[in-house]
Amino acid sequence: MTVLQPFVWGRSMADHFLKIRGLEKSYAMGVIKVLNGLDLTMTSKDRLVVIGPSGGGKSTLLRCIMGLENIAAGAIDINGEPYIGADNGATRIDRRIQKQIGMVFQSYTLFPHLNVLKNLTLAPVRSRGVPRSVAEDRAREIMRRFGLDQKLTAYPSELSGGQKQRVAIARALMLDPKLMLFDEVTSALDPELVSEVIAMIIELADGGMPMMIVTHDMWFARRIATRVVFCAGGTIAEDAPPEEFFARPTSQRARDFINNVLHANAEPA
Amino acid sequence: MDNLDFSVVWKFRDALAWGLMMSLLLSGICSLAGTVLGFFIALCQQSRFRAVRWAAALYVEVLRGAPTLITLFWVFFCLPIILGVEINAFWSSIIALTLYMGAITSESFRSSLKSIGQDQYDACNALGLAPATRTFYVIAPQALIRAIPNILSNVISLFKESTLVSAVGMVELMYTAQSISNITARPIEILTAVALIYFVIGYGFSWVVSSVELRIRARVQS
Repeated sequence: MTVLQPFVWGRSMADHFLKIRGLEKSYAMGVIKVLNGLDLTMTSKDRLVVIGPSGGGKSTLLRCIMGLENIAAGAIDINGEPYIGADNGATRIDRRIQKQIGMVFQSYTLFPHLNVLKNLTLAPVRSRGVPRSVAEDRAREIMRRFGLDQKLTAYPSELSGGQKQRVAIARALMLDPKLMLFDEVTSALDPELVSEVIAMIIELADGGMPMMIVTHDMWFARRIATRVVFCAGGTIAEDAPPEEFFARPTSQRARDFINNVLHANAEPA
Repeated sequence: MDNLDFSVVWKFRDALAWGLMMSLLLSGICSLAGTVLGFFIALCQQSRFRAVRWAAALYVEVLRGAPTLITLFWVFFCLPIILGVEINAFWSSIIALTLYMGAITSESFRSSLKSIGQDQYDACNALGLAPATRTFYVIAPQALIRAIPNILSNVISLFKESTLVSAVGMVELMYTAQSISNITARPIEILTAVALIYFVIGYGFSWVVSSVELRIRARVQS
């Protein structure tokens, strides 16, 4: 693995932007299989929304793509280059490629002891060697773009949940990612704070950022997805454009899931 | 009992003030040294090398398990024989109290390190921070902040434990009080006054601790 040559994300091979083959992941010494030979491809034009029942492997899928999990088998290629692979129980990760993927989590995960500016500049300065002044200028620019420039010196504890999550997204954007992963980023938010976070993600999407989103918010899924994949039992059970998926799901599990979710939304218990 | 005379306390105010100053000095030095030692021990307990982890754990268990008075006597009476050098009451006190503070403080650091959630590690890894950067800039600072209230409580314990050093002839508040009550034959007045001094300082300090704790709580929530 060489670190001398920066990895280049070409748009020409759009069909092979992200290719996952036979991904397997298990916990508790292989007793609990979370991903069960999952196959998935994504183009650079895709905004992929992953939905499905709890424990179906959605979040694990994103964590594997981010390189946060050891995998049992399978491989992930990006632009036709091997990114993650399983080698006799060990997981190989190409760190050059990993550094160009950004991820935002459900629980904000801001660094509580650092103010917003430091949260944004820590990784560029300490991990990418960006000069501090350059990183700070970029942080100001990003914060201005998303209407958060009043909060640069605030600490995470002084922000609302929605602001925290937008800062977390901004922190990922500081590293100029070529693919963004959003793992239930609105699930921990009070309902009135969800829209500001969704608006920020939609703005990114409109700017052409490829993304993969795990969400339980069906309105959001419909609004942003170019493709909806239904993840259950550790595999992709269904993969379709959103209008098709929500109108005519082909698998029984997806039909049941959608009925349950829509029913729950219509008649809250 | 009907002729209590607290003026004796005032009469010996200079000696008591000197004793108090020595107690505070001793507690201060040993708190600082012990906190540094404790942080080092806590890191040793996370070491990749089993021998280092075991040595650190052994140190903590022995020092926390043994009465501090025994540690003090051991340093005062046994260590000079083993090392072949004179260790006076002052240095014996410093060494014994620092060893005690190091042991209890390493536990404070250890639990604060453990209390940092997996999501902070995930965030660091997703941002591509190297393990050393992660520890130095994200995990250790949060652990230090979280440990502060605990460390301050340890300082109060240490301040109270420091009365023990009077047993090896270290002149501090407790030793001074004993001497004065022997000379004046007024133990009730002197020892009550000294108890009050320990209480006021300990209680005042714990009040500081809880207000610090409130401020810190805001800084450790992501």
